Amino acid sequence: MVNNLGEYFKIAARNLKMRSLRSWLTVLGIIIGVFLIISLLSLSEGIKETINRQMMSLGGNMIFVMPGDDSNPLAGMMFGGDKLEARDLDAIRRTEGVKTVLGASYQSINVRYNTENKALTVEGFPLVEGADVLRKFQGWSLSSGRWPSASRREVVVGMQFGRDIFNAPVQPGDQLIIKGKKYTVAGILNSLGAKDDDSAIFMDIAEFQDLTGQQRGTAQIAMVQIDEAMDPNLIAQKIKDSLRRVQRRAYGSDDLHFAVITAEKVNDIVGGVMAVIQFAILAFAGIAILVGGIGITNTMYTSVRERTREIGIMKAIGATNGAIMSIFLFEASIIGFGGGIGGTVLGLGLAAIIQAYGQVHPLFYFTASFSPWIVIFGLGFSFLVGCLSGILPARQAAKLRPIEALRKYE
Amino acid sequence: MSTLIKLEEVWKIYHLGKTEVNSLRGVNLEIESGDFVTIMGPSGSGKSTLLNMIGLLDIPTKGRLLLKNKDVTKRTESELAQLRGKTIGFVFQEFNLLNHLRAWENVELPMIFQKIPQAIRRRRAMELLAQVNMANRADHQLAELSGGERQRVAIARAFANNPELVIADEPTGNLDSVTGQKVMEILLDFHEKMGGTLLVVTHDHNIGGYAEHQVFIKDGRIVSQDEAFGNK
Repeated sequence: MVNNLGEYFKIAARNLKMRSLRSWLTVLGIIIGVFLIISLLSLSEGIKETINRQMMSLGGNMIFVMPGDDSNPLAGMMFGGDKLEARDLDAIRRTEGVKTVLGASYQSINVRYNTENKALTVEGFPLVEGADVLRKFQGWSLSSGRWPSASRREVVVGMQFGRDIFNAPVQPGDQLIIKGKKYTVAGILNSLGAKDDDSAIFMDIAEFQDLTGQQRGTAQIAMVQIDEAMDPNLIAQKIKDSLRRVQRRAYGSDDLHFAVITAEKVNDIVGGVMAVIQFAILAFAGIAILVGGIGITNTMYTSVRERTREIGIMKAIGATNGAIMSIFLFEASIIGFGGGIGGTVLGLGLAAIIQAYGQVHPLFYFTASFSPWIVIFGLGFSFLVGCLSGILPARQAAKLRPIEALRKYE
Repeated sequence: MSTLIKLEEVWKIYHLGKTEVNSLRGVNLEIESGDFVTIMGPSGSGKSTLLNMIGLLDIPTKGRLLLKNKDVTKRTESELAQLRGKTIGFVFQEFNLLNHLRAWENVELPMIFQKIPQAIRRRRAMELLAQVNMANRADHQLAELSGGERQRVAIARAFANNPELVIADEPTGNLDSVTGQKVMEILLDFHEKMGGTLLVVTHDHNIGGYAEHQVFIKDGRIVSQDEAFGNK
């Protein structure tokens, strides 16, 4: 029987070719399920990859210190509150294994360009002191203009300023009025990989603190570059210990109000959230495919009933139970696999369209991931569903007694 | 000559609801290799049931069925299918061809189940169709063929695997007399050329005249010609 499977496949394919609209509707059921899986998975996978890429561009040997606590670092980032005092930054700086500490702060400030006013995020960064770190380890680069100098009131702006933050694109040499003070745009950055960073204005932190009245030497967040040879988790722990000591001295309390997070940990958090989302996607799309599979079973049962005589003839002229079973299983698998191909093509198509839309629309920042694994998964799964859905009807067909199958026709 | 088929006290009992129908009541029959045998009898006499037994399409309720001296009564359905495919060819009254296949593909089908290579299958199908004067219609869809032409395709299919036994169940029953006669000639011609055993169920006494042996059946029993047709 084994060496004859190719022939049975051909018979099955020929049978399907002349089948009715019903077969195509069955295929459609599978297409929808696979379409859901493929489009949602490639988008969620794309989001995960984007975040990972951003984290990696920070380098595996970066540690972030921000207000809040370890278990919920995002809340600290959003609601602010505490900031790192000069003594905290010093304590981090003195910790073993720490190479550079860069403090940064940010605030939403009213900005005027020509006659337009807009509230935008202005970020104070160690543009002068940390220029090397930003360029080498965080992948900052200029698309036009030059890096700002410390002595003048100069800023660099995110990629979106060259497009549509204001009605007219901002160009190097243009002036922005920030909180009533004039700043010259020295350069425009290439994309930093996140929409809000690409829509922010960056100035040196000292200038930022003069402008906003924040105390010099403090920061809302610290980026710590560490010795590459050392374990980031170990140093993170040491930074925590240092900060705790400062805390004890200053307030007599052991409670740490800062989150110390390694790039790895950020990845873990993101990975965890995405895993839940992807699981939900798989569960829902799985149900959709299951329903499609039941559709296949239904179609195949009807088909066995309609083709009873045909099965009888084939058995009379020498088809074994195995041969009949193979032919019907192939038909079900082809329906499943065909639906899989259709769903994959449509799903990847939708993901590509959403991605293309995200590139031009300022609010979205979707990327899609077109990994071969997603495609293999989609096709493999639909093929499997087809096979499984076909088993019962194929068994029924195989078990028909030839004489009864032939008599039914008479 | 050797015995190809032997039936020993074969009974076939059907259950229609609560009623038992004895379709065959203890039939004993031997068919020699190479014979041309006709089975005749009135409607409902059990001749189709007998034919199904001999064709391994059905199994006896009681009694033994021997094919080349081997008891096949206890074989599984798949084993019987293998045996059928190799040793027996069928020609049915209602043709029983697959309508979505072309003429030559119908002739090819039994050879697929015997795992014969594709190139050989196609060539042999064409040869067989040529022998039934259907060479020029080999590529036609079944819907384009007349009844007589379809039965000729069915005859070509029956001989595809060089069977030792060809069973024809009222092969001319659905054809007008002229076409029927032609089909019968082709069948007999095949029998002569290819050897093997030919078993024909028929109402037609003329066909019975050609046969080497005539079997008459009535009420599930083998009887004499006179008993069967009431010439008391």
